[in-house]
Amino acid sequence: MENEGRRKFLGVCVAGATAAAAVAAGYPVFRYLAPRSGQGGAAKLVIPAGELKEGDAKFFEFAGSSAVLIKTKSGELVALSAVCTHLGCIVQWVKEKQQFLCPCHGGQFSTDGTVLGGPPPRPLAKIPLTVTEGNITIG
Amino acid sequence: MLKRLYRWLDLRIGVGEIVEKELTGYLLPRNINEWYSLGSVLLLIFALQVITGMLLMIYYVPDADKAFKSVTFIMNEVPFGWLIRLCHAVGSNMMVAVLILHMLSTLLMGSYKAPRELNWVTGFTLLALVQGISLTGYLAPWSQLSFWATTVATNSASAIPVVGPYLVEFLRGGKLVGPPTLGRFFALHAAVLPVVIAAFIGAHLFLLKRTGISAPPFGREGTANPFEAQQYHYQGHPGGIPFFPNYVLQDLTSISIYFAIFLAVVFFWPGMPFTPDAFVPADPFRTPAHIKPEWYFLANYQTLKIFPSELFGLSVQAAAMTFLALLPFIDRSPERHPLKRPVFLTLVIAGVLLWIALSVWGHLS
Repeated sequence: MENEGRRKFLGVCVAGATAAAAVAAGYPVFRYLAPRSGQGGAAKLVIPAGELKEGDAKFFEFAGSSAVLIKTKSGELVALSAVCTHLGCIVQWVKEKQQFLCPCHGGQFSTDGTVLGGPPPRPLAKIPLTVTEGNITIG
Repeated sequence: MLKRLYRWLDLRIGVGEIVEKELTGYLLPRNINEWYSLGSVLLLIFALQVITGMLLMIYYVPDADKAFKSVTFIMNEVPFGWLIRLCHAVGSNMMVAVLILHMLSTLLMGSYKAPRELNWVTGFTLLALVQGISLTGYLAPWSQLSFWATTVATNSASAIPVVGPYLVEFLRGGKLVGPPTLGRFFALHAAVLPVVIAAFIGAHLFLLKRTGISAPPFGREGTANPFEAQQYHYQGHPGGIPFFPNYVLQDLTSISIYFAIFLAVVFFWPGMPFTPDAFVPADPFRTPAHIKPEWYFLANYQTLKIFPSELFGLSVQAAAMTFLALLPFIDRSPERHPLKRPVFLTLVIAGVLLWIALSVWGHLS
């Protein structure tokens, strides 16, 4: 009986030490492999207002993802996430129709990101922007 | 829970039979000693080298313009990148050191003798392959140390008559060490040599299983039935100790001791695998002073220096290596106790001392 107790105690000790060793070895490996925080690029971006003509769109990388800035024919500036809300493809700007088309499954979005047709479940996310002294600050 | 899983597996694939044959029923000599566990330690080191090498490949870029930066990035930016890289660099040194100890114990206990000649030959080949994988990995960081140590090492082949200069060019992928050298060394280091080493380890273990484990020539009374070169028979050890749990405990003890030493070097002597030149990017137009190879190549390096002709130096080394590789075929007496082989013991001690002396001389010169 006493032997059984000792055996169990030793078993628990060995299992505990093995688990501790596994954590000690696993944690550095996990941290090594995990994506690094703050690697997503600048959270603010400045684009000179003169770079964009009316009716045009400019795609850029923003906070680790793809975004687009458009100047509508009425002169309004809109910044949107360029990631389609359906399956994550990058939308394309169709200048003639003044709307976005996702080439993957035909999702369509208006200039303010609203879904016009196709499978996307949500509108494109809006990104705040400010215009000061001829510069557009995104984010 | 574990017992139920074991029973479940046993019913389907007969795990119990394998455990009985390979673990609890695998009997080892009663007088087996701790030196026999170095093989398990080496298996563990090789596995760790493979794992850390795979992890390093995630961030390392094998391109002459980017290699040094990627290694610096791993060391300074990636979380625990320094740990993974140090484990790989220190591990490679440890692998050579433990391999030398494993071979020395085999040598002193006469375990290379019949019927285990092929175990020795495959083991010796593994030593050469491990040195090769260390040499090719040395270039990977593309530092001044990597670049010039590789220049010196590859240049030794030029002493071979007729084909020497072409061989050097072939090894380097050009007249000098350069981006093509990194490409071919990286392919050898990360793809070719690990597979070849794994295959030789497989062959080494297969031979061990077929011949049976050798009994030490000293300690408690032996259990082996002696080998007679009439027909094949497995050298078993009836009445010996089971591999599991008895010898597994010894393996785990040796592995723990190894880890204590290995981690002590990683944490308290992280500069061990490096010299100041390892922290400067490779510059093909500026040779640093006193460039030296790794410690396990220092004796070879010094031998090349002391002989007036490089060809002579190379030939002496080639002769010594061939002699060692073919030792079981030269030393054919059945006596295995080192104290009953005074000439052999003297030669081994003299050889080891000579190797140490040449290494120290090479380091200091």
